[in-house]
Amino acid sequence: MNEKEFASRLKPFLDRAADQVGEVQATKLKSARLRALDAYREPVRLFGLVPVAAGTAHTIHYGVVQRALLWLPIAALLATLAIQSMNDVDDLGDLDAQLLTQELPPDAFIDQDFRSWLGKSHS
Amino acid sequence: MARQVAQLIAVLAAALMLGSAVARDRDPKTPQTPWHQVPREQQRALQPVAPEWDRMPGYQQQRLMGAARKYPEMQPIQKERFEARLKDWAAMSPDQRRAARETFQGLRKLPPEKQHELRERWIQQHGGEDVGAPRSRGPSTPDYSRAPPR
Repeated sequence: MNEKEFASRLKPFLDRAADQVGEVQATKLKSARLRALDAYREPVRLFGLVPVAAGTAHTIHYGVVQRALLWLPIAALLATLAIQSMNDVDDLGDLDAQLLTQELPPDAFIDQDFRSWLGKSHS
Repeated sequence: MARQVAQLIAVLAAALMLGSAVARDRDPKTPQTPWHQVPREQQRALQPVAPEWDRMPGYQQQRLMGAARKYPEMQPIQKERFEARLKDWAAMSPDQRRAARETFQGLRKLPPEKQHELRERWIQQHGGEDVGAPRSRGPSTPDYSRAPPR
């Protein structure tokens, strides 16, 4: 039995039951339907990134601490980038200073033979 | 949900940090620092490249200044090597310097005895010459106009 056949068989029963619904029950049903329509929301994106199912975002009530925790990674990212930008030149300069002052001259490190030996040592 | 957001942000953060580090390394927008504004202590360390300084791109000046900041803490032999090698180092193309840094970092990842073995092998192959002295393979006079700021 397909869906249409099932619906056509079910309809008379539902019609008969609907005729027997009292005024109070009909009002309750109508009210429930309106509440359901009112609760329906289009999917939203949390922080513009993650799609959240209809109504879910509106029913989640984060506390202050939970909200703070949600923003913590962003705060950490911004802080890290700020610190990184301050230390970056120093770190890069440190690497160059080490390269220039160790035993081999810098052009050893662009020497094909040396690079080949190094590659073999790593493998 | 919160965990997913946090994971997403962590991935974005890692990508941003990597991207920004690469961008800062050779940012053509880095402003140049005139020689007279270089701190006196660093001027002393950077003396070998003073004639070319004002023609260098800003990002290269910043890296050299970063290296020169370590100069006061160096041992006498390290200072000697720094001064002897600086001019040729500055004359390398950005790609050559990047390749040299990568190789150097690769060397540092090896166990000390393996590092020593490779150093000895290279020194032996190059006839026991004074490895502290510069060995010009590239141009001795840097051509900054041909080095694209990438």
